[in-house]
Amino acid sequence: MGVMRIGHISIKVMDMAEALKHYENVIGMKVTHTDADGNVYLKCWDEWDKYSVILTPSNQAGFNHVAYKVTDDFALVRLTQKVRDYGIQVEELPAGSLPDCGRMVKFNMPSGHEMRLFAEKDILGTDVGCTNPDPWPDDIRGAGAHWLDHCLLVCEMDPERGVNTLVDNKHFFIKALNFFETEQVVVGPNGSIQIASFLSHSSKPHDIAFVVGPTSGLHHLSFFLDSWHDILKAADVMAKNRTRIDVSPTRHGITRGETIYFFDPSGNRNETFAGLGYQAQRDKPLITWTEDQIGRAIFYHTGVLVESFTTVYT
Amino acid sequence: MSESFEKHAVLVVETSEEYLCSSAETLLEGMVRLGRKCIPIGCVNGGCGVCKVAIVKGHVRKCGPMSRVHVSEEEESQGFLLACRAMPMSKVELKIIGKMKKIIW
Repeated sequence: MGVMRIGHISIKVMDMAEALKHYENVIGMKVTHTDADGNVYLKCWDEWDKYSVILTPSNQAGFNHVAYKVTDDFALVRLTQKVRDYGIQVEELPAGSLPDCGRMVKFNMPSGHEMRLFAEKDILGTDVGCTNPDPWPDDIRGAGAHWLDHCLLVCEMDPERGVNTLVDNKHFFIKALNFFETEQVVVGPNGSIQIASFLSHSSKPHDIAFVVGPTSGLHHLSFFLDSWHDILKAADVMAKNRTRIDVSPTRHGITRGETIYFFDPSGNRNETFAGLGYQAQRDKPLITWTEDQIGRAIFYHTGVLVESFTTVYT
Repeated sequence: MSESFEKHAVLVVETSEEYLCSSAETLLEGMVRLGRKCIPIGCVNGGCGVCKVAIVKGHVRKCGPMSRVHVSEEEESQGFLLACRAMPMSKVELKIIGKMKKIIW
């Protein structure tokens, strides 16, 4: 009873036609709805809810909001109260405030990122159905991402003012939303400054992650693939489509994920990510990565940081 | 890249680094393809702003949207732009405005 998974993410794009080419032909999503304001809603073939990505036309790139789906309305009521009890103001949005989505509650994380919770969304079903399903559909395009898996948000930190909204977010997610932390990255004297947090509400190593930065923003949204071979094929798809790759196929130390990082045509970073890594459990001891091994934590093979990866976001 | 396009010299004023860039690719793409790093490289898609430059000499052709968070209309009218969104039409001299901030980890 509670949060199930990332339900959708809403992001800004500067050229909708180019964005759709990317999310349809490279990621492999399908458009399921376009509203009167020109916002476009998409889903992956293995997702059953009507949409997991909302693209909104804008003159800039970046994050609008992220929404997590909860088990039922009872959980929504209970979590709304827990968010309020934590001291965070909540706005209640009626059903239909987003197309084909039930009522939502809207609030800001301590980092300022807008977050929503909802319990109901129209179900279209996966592209293989649920009666004697084949393992994959015949019309897979591009990387053929299975689902939107998680997002990584950049949280404002200013040590001189004693501000670290990553830590504030972590506490909020654990205390109010009942997430648990799987991995952390710490730096500074005795590892006293936390600069990354990976949080789960399932058996996956992360359902959301936070890193610190000078301003809050979006580091990436991540799509799940099945295998290392799917990662290789996804990189081929990106090369064929001249997608700007930030980090070519490799493995993270953190989460053990097999990964590619790349940019959509507006500069929002995407990830295709394979391998569930390990089974995350609430009683599994927290994994800690230390300052001297940060390179290895992020890019396990080389142990070398990639400047754009650690400095660029929207 | 077709050879029918002209190649133009691009000079980064601060470092005196120079490279040749086709008129059919952006200032940043041309540099990236050569493995050079004289302009900061980010998303290469107009969104992150780290490749912001000021064109001090020469002509460019703009292509694709630039995030208004990073280049306002007023700045654009004064010759500021993102190197990933401009193709050289002549020899170009530019100054680096954007920078990589050591930020996340």
